[in-house]
Amino acid sequence: MFKDLDPILHSQLRLSIVSILMSVEEANFSFIKEETKATSGNLSIQIKKLQDAGYVKVEKSFINNYPNTSLSITKKGMEAFENYVNNLKSYINPK
Amino acid sequence: MKNSTLTPEESLLLITKTIEEMKQRFKNNGHILIFWGLLTFVVAMSQFTLYNFEYYKIHWYPSFLYPLGAIYMTVYIWKEYKKKKLPKTLIGNILGKMGWLIGLNFMILGFFFSQKIGDATAPVFLIFLAFFIFLAGISIKFKPLIISGVMLNLFAFATFYVHDHYLYLVMAIGSFALTIPGILLNNARRKENV
Repeated sequence: MFKDLDPILHSQLRLSIVSILMSVEEANFSFIKEETKATSGNLSIQIKKLQDAGYVKVEKSFINNYPNTSLSITKKGMEAFENYVNNLKSYINPK
Repeated sequence: MKNSTLTPEESLLLITKTIEEMKQRFKNNGHILIFWGLLTFVVAMSQFTLYNFEYYKIHWYPSFLYPLGAIYMTVYIWKEYKKKKLPKTLIGNILGKMGWLIGLNFMILGFFFSQKIGDATAPVFLIFLAFFIFLAGISIKFKPLIISGVMLNLFAFATFYVHDHYLYLVMAIGSFALTIPGILLNNARRKENV
């Protein structure tokens, strides 16, 4: 039986962001922008959606007078990602 | 990147590709291993030479290069991360802190307790080093590092049987356990980038 895929994660850019954050402890906005090759505006919107869902934590600070936005995955985000991957498997290898 | 929805296969492919790319990014640290390998070689050979020319009082002076090397490497890594805006990784954090801990312990042992541990200084140093190399190899899943760690560990125990006159030479040989995997790691990265 097919399980529902989390709509928050089931989008190319949001899934990329979460995949990156699953591999690191913390990453800043410009690194994610470079990796995903997304525009700043689109990236900000998708990060906001992930933040609202409680999947990522966003921290804003200043480094040498320059604004710095760092992101990390939350426990809820990790669990959602694991569930998403497990549900994906049921689509690819249906029993 | 657009914000389109994906098929399950595309999703899994995207996840695998992203995580693999992130892993590969942090394999690019061969030059750090080469730096420590060469530094250990230079220090050990300098000590061996001074010891052989009977400069017993100053033969340990080259070991001051280790703390200098540690400071240089910390500043270098910090600048690189800042310049390239690289993210923090759990593996990088653990390895970095463990490297500091092992290095600090070795320096304390070398500078303050070498009289107490005597001839065991070189084998103990090599055991510390083997432990770090082995763990680093497992963390980044790089076989030459894992093999180097195991070989160095065995070599370290064998050095208990080496005459104290040649202990610095043994340390110099042990330094290849860093240099060789460092070169192999750099070569592997270069091939992946072609």
